[in-house]
Amino acid sequence: MRVQLTSKTVGAALAAGLCLSGTVTARAETWFDEQTAGCLMQYFTDSDHVAVRSAIADYTVALRKASIAMHYNNERVVIPAIESPPGSQEAVDAITTASRPISGNAYSDFVKVRNEFEGSYRQGGIEAGYYYSGESDYIGQQVRASVDRDLRGDQLNVSVGASYGWDAIEPVQDDDTNTGASSKKTTHFNVVATQVVTPSTMVRVGVEYNLVNGLQHNPYRNVYAGGTNVPEQHPDNRQRRDLFLKVNQYLPNRSSLKINYRFYNDDWDIQSHEIGTRLSQYLVRGIYASYEYRWYTQGSSYFYRNEYATVNGIDGYRTGDYRMAVLASHLFGVALDFDLEKLEVKVPVLDRMGLRCNYERYFNSNNYSANFLTTQVTYRF
Amino acid sequence: MSARNRLRRVMVVIALGAPLAALLLSGCATTSVRAFQRERLTDRIMTFQADASDAARRTKSLEAREGSTGGNGGAGGGCACN
Repeated sequence: MRVQLTSKTVGAALAAGLCLSGTVTARAETWFDEQTAGCLMQYFTDSDHVAVRSAIADYTVALRKASIAMHYNNERVVIPAIESPPGSQEAVDAITTASRPISGNAYSDFVKVRNEFEGSYRQGGIEAGYYYSGESDYIGQQVRASVDRDLRGDQLNVSVGASYGWDAIEPVQDDDTNTGASSKKTTHFNVVATQVVTPSTMVRVGVEYNLVNGLQHNPYRNVYAGGTNVPEQHPDNRQRRDLFLKVNQYLPNRSSLKINYRFYNDDWDIQSHEIGTRLSQYLVRGIYASYEYRWYTQGSSYFYRNEYATVNGIDGYRTGDYRMAVLASHLFGVALDFDLEKLEVKVPVLDRMGLRCNYERYFNSNNYSANFLTTQVTYRF
Repeated sequence: MSARNRLRRVMVVIALGAPLAALLLSGCATTSVRAFQRERLTDRIMTFQADASDAARRTKSLEAREGSTGGNGGAGGGCACN
């Protein structure tokens, strides 16, 4: 298990994102206007030899005046063996990017499976959903709701959303830490406005607020402080807020440019900036390529130190998590999308399908790098 | 809470809220774009929704490696363990 500073998952974020994004041009673009099914496979590997396989299925049922969306994700995570005795400094370093208990034979790979499910119901401009994620040492649940309205003759859409998540954390046996069962609660609010500016330009701006209470550090991680190894300790409370701005511009020659910016800060004193761009270009009718770049930078939390002089750390807090430190990262991506209907494939079934292949390369200032390979198939009924 | 911290929080609220307010107000000034003029906006390479699933998966993956989160207009529950 890796304990996140805030609990987010692809299922909930996906549905929330789809819900919100589906409101962009209101009646002209309704996400749930047809019944669809899709499956996605993603392979992830990184420079620490962590490997994740994700198998995702989505299904949307269109009702007369409403729709139901379902999402399922099965993930298999392989975290490599610890190449040093439990409790040693090397073992601490070895788990800074992927957590695992050090128990019994830590010299073998640690494998875990996670299952996620989400269901949501949407009618008119109202949507409600439930999310569940289960694994051997972590169960996360969440309820959410959002309301959106078209205003100013459908030029502007405003969405207001909220969610409440509660996670149960029960660390498995670990030889050098003794963290007991714990919990985490996350309350989230967001307001998102989308404006049609011109026939070729759309702008979206949003603010988000998260209040997190509970266990927010890695229960398996030790920190070298005051000349010895002691369990990691983060504050129990965290307020996180961000502002994001997105601009989509249609360009001549059937291409588009998307630019986004996000500013984030929290009361642990982390402040970050993110800038992303994506250029999409039709190669032929029904096939387009996308090229992407993302730049990210952040400051450190007030309790992060390279070395702690005493076991009390800073105000009783100490961390071995590099995400609490100054960090910069880059991401490059390339994708290819096929719409077989527009390609006029005259084969039943195939002419209702869409395909997508995507590769992303990520690296950051901690000499960490990762690869994402994704393939996706969608089918419209 | 110190005066400095209070001032800092006020500045954060302003920084977060001002652009949103500006956008909403600017809606009054934009030219009305009629439904038949939205062909480009509904193209898959232009919509926000076309990127939503990618963005959500990426958020999950990157927040396990970076100290911040957000940018999608929604929150999740559970463990981001990748």
